[in-house]
Amino acid sequence: MSDHTPTSTLVADDLHAQERARSAARARRAAERERLLQSVGIVVPFVLVLVAGLLFVPNFTSGSSITNILVNAAVLAITGYGMTLVIALRGIDLSVGSTQALSACVAAASVNEWGGLAGAVIGIAVACVLGAVNGVLVTSLRVPAFIATLSTMSVFRGLALLFTGGAPILIASSGYKSFATGSVLGVPVPFLCAVVLGAGMWFLLERMRFGKHVVAVGGSPEAAVDSGIAVHRVLLGAYVLAAATAGVAGILLASQLGVVNGSLSAGLELQAIAIVVLGGTSMAGGRANIPGTFIAALLLAMINSGLNLLNVPSFYQYVALGGLLVFALSLDGVQRRTVRRALEGRTS
Amino acid sequence: MTVVLEVRDVVQEYPGVRALKGVSLSLSPGQVLGLVGENGAGKSTLIRILGGIEQPVSGTVLVHGEARQFKGSAESQAAGISVVSQEFRLVPQLSVADNIFLGHELTSGGVVARGKVRQRAAALLETLGMDLEPDRLISSLTVGDRQMVEIARALSREFDVLIMDEPTAALNGAEIRRLHAIVEKLATQGKAVVYVSHHLAEIFDICRDVAVLRDGELVLTAPTTSLDETQLVEHMLGRRPQTFERATDGTATDDRTATARLDVRELKLGGFDAPFSLRAGRGEILGLAGLVGSGRTELTRALFGDLAALSGTVTIDGTAVRLGTSRDAIRAGLFMLSEDRKGEGILPHLDVTENAMVSRERSSLRGRARWAPARRGEESVFEKLRQDMRIRVPHGRQLIGNLSGGNQQKVLFGRALLSGCKVLLLNEPTRGVDVGAKVDIYQLIRTLADDGVSVVVSSSDAPELAAIADRCLVYFAGRQVAELRGRDVTEENIVAASVGQVAGGDVHV
Repeated sequence: MSDHTPTSTLVADDLHAQERARSAARARRAAERERLLQSVGIVVPFVLVLVAGLLFVPNFTSGSSITNILVNAAVLAITGYGMTLVIALRGIDLSVGSTQALSACVAAASVNEWGGLAGAVIGIAVACVLGAVNGVLVTSLRVPAFIATLSTMSVFRGLALLFTGGAPILIASSGYKSFATGSVLGVPVPFLCAVVLGAGMWFLLERMRFGKHVVAVGGSPEAAVDSGIAVHRVLLGAYVLAAATAGVAGILLASQLGVVNGSLSAGLELQAIAIVVLGGTSMAGGRANIPGTFIAALLLAMINSGLNLLNVPSFYQYVALGGLLVFALSLDGVQRRTVRRALEGRTS
Repeated sequence: MTVVLEVRDVVQEYPGVRALKGVSLSLSPGQVLGLVGENGAGKSTLIRILGGIEQPVSGTVLVHGEARQFKGSAESQAAGISVVSQEFRLVPQLSVADNIFLGHELTSGGVVARGKVRQRAAALLETLGMDLEPDRLISSLTVGDRQMVEIARALSREFDVLIMDEPTAALNGAEIRRLHAIVEKLATQGKAVVYVSHHLAEIFDICRDVAVLRDGELVLTAPTTSLDETQLVEHMLGRRPQTFERATDGTATDDRTATARLDVRELKLGGFDAPFSLRAGRGEILGLAGLVGSGRTELTRALFGDLAALSGTVTIDGTAVRLGTSRDAIRAGLFMLSEDRKGEGILPHLDVTENAMVSRERSSLRGRARWAPARRGEESVFEKLRQDMRIRVPHGRQLIGNLSGGNQQKVLFGRALLSGCKVLLLNEPTRGVDVGAKVDIYQLIRTLADDGVSVVVSSSDAPELAAIADRCLVYFAGRQVAELRGRDVTEENIVAASVGQVAGGDVHV
């Protein structure tokens, strides 16, 4: 049998080469399926809602309706960017709504005191501090993200209400108010901000070291630790960024509304989570999709606006949002299963 | 001679286990040191300490004569120690190139220099003889390719000491040869290499010296030329190795097959063209052999309800079994031990007793114990298992995660035994199990079979099947290409059939 051995090894190596080729084919197929599902998950609902809106909703394409959709989508999308990072890290931030409220209220009061630019900077700085609190809770104190941010959601909301004393804060500066209500070539400024910030966030995730570390920590925490990645620093950075984006969205919102109160953006966390997951970011970690978050924000804004224009009672909007979230989450599960199957070559 | 890395009197303790009891070792540039020992001897612990992932209880690690305390893997890497870990530490969602440079990205101002990363990654893979596209995601790679990426990653760092923990476990012949050439080249460049392997032939091939760990102590450091394989095994075990004598009794096998316990007919699985059919008799040990992709693993998983079958029937003792879930399979008298012991076998946060009891057949229990297990009763059952199976644990409350692979596997055998199964499916039953425990496990399999259980062993280890199987089915690309019985179940026959050469020139592929 000994004279067979060299041939057997050669045949074996040959088979390995074949197996490798098969695995490459499977990988391509899996990638195709993933792309397909991602588009089914976000592009198809987007197109359906858009068509339905155009066909059945009166005044859907009126100037004020479009502006309204774009501005709402912008606030949602910007909040969603930070949430995308946190969810890609297998975390969650339930405190974004409260963070947004507190930073918007502080910003509004500061605008009245020290002017527009200072107000905006102070507002974002407050948000960053709140995010750092979340980050420290999750990393140093090892509180599970869900519990930590559920608690801070309540704490920050309370602080916002205490800060305002329960009364609305009117922004006096008309310059500050004109920022978010203005437009460039017909496109509302907040929407432009969302596009620019989205591009920046995409660059951060796809092209920068920090982004690679986010994917590593979210995809395989053990591998990240063994690679010498400062996991805690990445997590802390993500929570600070999540709060910062919520804060930026908050000051845009304050500018647009002209008046803020302590209960601003209540329930925002659910919307933010819904658009992130619908956009293709996996709750299982490691897969972040910023363009998806952006499109999903537009989708949700269209749904809300459409329901408003149809004079559907706002209660139904809660039902719609919850349904959308369940749809997004189940799609996430289906997507993961399909990719795994494609890789294991079982569905061929 | 200069010393690049020295370990002095390092002690490491885990709850209830003293993993390293004062190990001292030194490495000089250009030295290739083989590190061997049974599972649980402390090799992995030592490597984790050198890699900065664990901190020792006492003792010092000196790099270039300077005492170092690694607080994390980044510090160890900065000191010039690069580790190829046994478990893959790759991020499935990142590309090959990104994984290779993870943690030490080539960047300018925080922005990853993609062109350079891709180029360097491609060059590294080239030296390893791989034609992988650097942009492919890790999740799409085979195990062997992942291993090569892991190696490429270790080589991509600046290092003086390279530690390789079982680098060849998932590689094929050509890849192993190439890896050995690389190790030799590194040695001539003055790098020190620590090479851990269970394949002793490898140690003799490429290592100048060999260090033997046994029960957390360094029992021997010697040039490989002064030893032979048998002596090395003796040092590892601390005694002469036992061998397992198989009963090559072809006629008995035929009798056993006559009364089929497990009968699988025309079982069709996704991804395979031909359906699977097999019979296993009462008390028979049936081996399933074949390369990766031959379908034998999928077959066992489908039988256990882990993977959906498209069509076909399975009967146990003449009763048809519904192949829906693992729960159904267990109720029908089928049990499987997965090849992924850590992921799909042990329940790491439960103790050994609870681990053995989880699948216990309820009908063997009376009254309250069915719903609220009586700890005392379980302890006595476990105590019996412990003695029968020679499980090395101090007490029944030991967490299973802290045991060696062999002992974990024994506990899982206990679980299978208590499930009251009629058919036991084993996937790679001795993967990651040391020589001593291996023999115990073979003995256990034989005892189970003698009690009337049909044991189906799916294994990539041909000598193992040759040692224990009464009959062996060999699969190639989803088809059964050979059925070997009794004396024909030999390592040579299995290997030849696995690669598509069947004795007599009759190849069905």
